[in-house]
Amino acid sequence: MSKKIERVQAGEKVFDWLLLLLSIGVLIEAYRIDGGLRLNSAGSFPVGLALVMLASSLAILVSHRYKRRDESIKSALQEFQVFLRDHFRPHIVVFSIAAIIYLAAIVWASFYISTFIFLAAMFIYFRQGRVVSSLVITAAAIAIIYVLFTVVFRVYLP
Amino acid sequence: MSDTLSFLLMAWLNPGLLGLTALGVLAGIYIGAIPGLSVTMAVSILISFTFSWHIDHALALMVGIYVGGVYGGSRTAILLNIPGAPSAVTTAFDGYPLAQRGEAGRAIGLSTVMSVIGGLIGVLVLAGTAPYLSGLALQFAPRDYFLIAVLGLLLVSSLSGKSLSRGIFSVALGGIIGLVGMDMVTAQPRLTLGQMELLGGIHYVVVMIGLFGVAEALYQLHNLAKVPVKQKVDKIVPPLNMVLKFLPLSVRTSVIGVIVGALPGTGGDIASLFAYDHAKRSVKNPTRPFGEGAYEGLVAPETANNAAVGGAYVPMLTLGMPGDAVTAVIIGALVIHGLNPGPMLMIETPHIFWFTVGNLALANIFLLIFGLTGIKIFSKIVEVPKAVLIPLILVLCVVGTYSINSNMTEVYWMLGFGILGYWLKVFGFQMGPIILGVILGPLLDESYRQAMSSVGDRGGDFLLALVTNPLSLVLTSVITLVLLSNTPLKGWLSRRFSRS
Repeated sequence: MSKKIERVQAGEKVFDWLLLLLSIGVLIEAYRIDGGLRLNSAGSFPVGLALVMLASSLAILVSHRYKRRDESIKSALQEFQVFLRDHFRPHIVVFSIAAIIYLAAIVWASFYISTFIFLAAMFIYFRQGRVVSSLVITAAAIAIIYVLFTVVFRVYLP
Repeated sequence: MSDTLSFLLMAWLNPGLLGLTALGVLAGIYIGAIPGLSVTMAVSILISFTFSWHIDHALALMVGIYVGGVYGGSRTAILLNIPGAPSAVTTAFDGYPLAQRGEAGRAIGLSTVMSVIGGLIGVLVLAGTAPYLSGLALQFAPRDYFLIAVLGLLLVSSLSGKSLSRGIFSVALGGIIGLVGMDMVTAQPRLTLGQMELLGGIHYVVVMIGLFGVAEALYQLHNLAKVPVKQKVDKIVPPLNMVLKFLPLSVRTSVIGVIVGALPGTGGDIASLFAYDHAKRSVKNPTRPFGEGAYEGLVAPETANNAAVGGAYVPMLTLGMPGDAVTAVIIGALVIHGLNPGPMLMIETPHIFWFTVGNLALANIFLLIFGLTGIKIFSKIVEVPKAVLIPLILVLCVVGTYSINSNMTEVYWMLGFGILGYWLKVFGFQMGPIILGVILGPLLDESYRQAMSSVGDRGGDFLLALVTNPLSLVLTSVITLVLLSNTPLKGWLSRRFSRS
C-alpha cells in the first residue's frame, strides 16, 4: 500500500526551527515572571502556554520526518534559491519596502501627502506604468478616504 | 414579553439602524465577493472606527457586513470560479460549472434564496436555544469555563489547519500575545521585555488588523496577475417550484450549518464542506452529477454557510466563546463598549441579545433584496484589480490601527504582526486560532486562577475536581477524546477494530 508523501515547502523547516527558538525565548521570559513555577500566580499560565508552544513546535519538527522536499530540489542551496524565488519576488519586495518607507514617512510628511505618494507609486508600479489613470485612481482614493474617515467617521488620522 | 418584542423589532423600526443594516449587507456582499477582501478583515478594521458609536449602531453595521459577506463570496465563486471567501470554496464546485452552462443568473438567484433560508433557520435556532444555554451556563464553575475554553481552542486547532500541532501552536502564540501587559490581579508586568509601552498590553484590534489585513494583502501579492473569466448573467429570480424542490435539502443542510457553526472556531467554511458532503451522500438522483453543475451541490453549501452565522452567535452570546473569527472580533466590539459577552449578557443587557436576533433576521431580508438585484453593477465592481486593492488595504489598515489610540507605535506593531502573519500563513498556520488565542488567553488565565483559588491552590484537588464533578468530567472526557482522535492511536485503534 503506498502512502501519499507530504511535501515540505522550501524554507519551511528553517521557519519551524525559528518557531522552536521563539518558544524557548517565550518560556524564559514567562519563567522570569515572579512565581512562574507556582500553580497559581501571575506567571503560571504564561509558563503553561510557553510549554504548550514548545511541545507543539517540537511536534511540528518531528512531523518533518514524514515529509519530503520537492524532488527537483537537490541541495540546501537550491532550496534557498527556490525560497527566494517564491517569497521574494520583485513586486513583493518592492511593496514591502514601500510600505515600511510609507509608515516612516507618515510621521514627518503628513498622512495625506505620504498616502498619495505611496498609492500613486504602487499603482504605477503594479499597473506597469499607466501613469495618468493611476494618478486619477489615487486622487479618487484620497478623496474617498477624506470623506469617509474625516467627514463621516471623524477619526483621527496620523 | 413586550420588552423582548420591542428589542427584537428595534432594528426594524429605527430608520438609523435600518439604514446601517442595509448598508452593512450591501457593503458585505461586495467585501465578501472581492477576492482579497474578507469579512473578518472588514469587521476588524471597522471596529476601530465604531469605538465612539452607540453599540446598537456599531452592531447593526457589523451584523450586516457579516451576513452580506458570507453570502457575497458565493457570487465570485459562481461567476469567476474565485471564491471571495473561504465559506464559498465549496459553492464553486458546482456553481462555476453552472455558469459555464449559461445558468449563472439562475445559480446566483437560487444561492441567494437558499442563503436567506439558511440564515433565517440559523436565527430561529439562536433565538430558541441561546436563552436556555445561557441559563445553564450560569451554573458553570470557573473550572468548567476553563475546560470549555480549552475545548473550544482545541477544536479550533484541530479543525482549522493542516495539522493539530500547528493549530495548537497558533492558539498558544495568540494566548501569549493576549497576556502581554500588566497582570490584572498582582499588577506585575508580564512578557513586556522590560518595555514601558507594553505595560498596557497589545490591543487585540492591532493584532487582528495585522493578521487579517496586512498578512492577507501580502499573501494576495502571490496572485497579482490572476485575471478572472467573465460570465453572462440573466434570469436571476428562481421559479417557486425550483425553490420548493430543494427546500428539504436546504433545511437539512441548514441544521448541519447551525451545529457546525456553533462549534467554537469552525464557521461557514467547514459547515459548507460538511453540507456538500451530506448532499453528495444523501441525494441519489442529482440534477447533474456533482461537480458538473448539480443544483444540489450549490444549495447545500450556500444554506449551510449562512445558517452557520446564527450558529456562531450561540456560543458567543451564551458562553462568551466565539463561534468563528468574525464573532471573535464582534466579542472584542462588545467588550470595548463595556458589555460582558457570556451568560451574564442575557441578565445584564438582554436587549443586546434580542436586538442581535432581530437584526440578523433583518439582515437576511436585506440579503434577499440586494442578492436578487444589481448583478450587472456588481460584476463591474468585483473586477477591481488586486494591483489597486492591495495598496488600499494597507492604507485602510494604517487608518484603522491609528484610530484606536492615535498611536503610531501601534501602527508599527500592526505591520509587525502582518509580516509575522504572512510567514505563518505561507507555512500553513491559520490566523483564526491566533486571534481566538489572543481573546481567550486572558479569560482562560482568569478562570484557571479562580478555579485554582477555589481549591486552595492544591493541584491534586484541582485535578480531582475535573473528574468528580459531572459536568467537568464530561468536558474533560471530550477534551481527551479530541486529543486522542488527533494522535496515531486513532489509526491504531481503528485498524484493531476493523481486523476484529
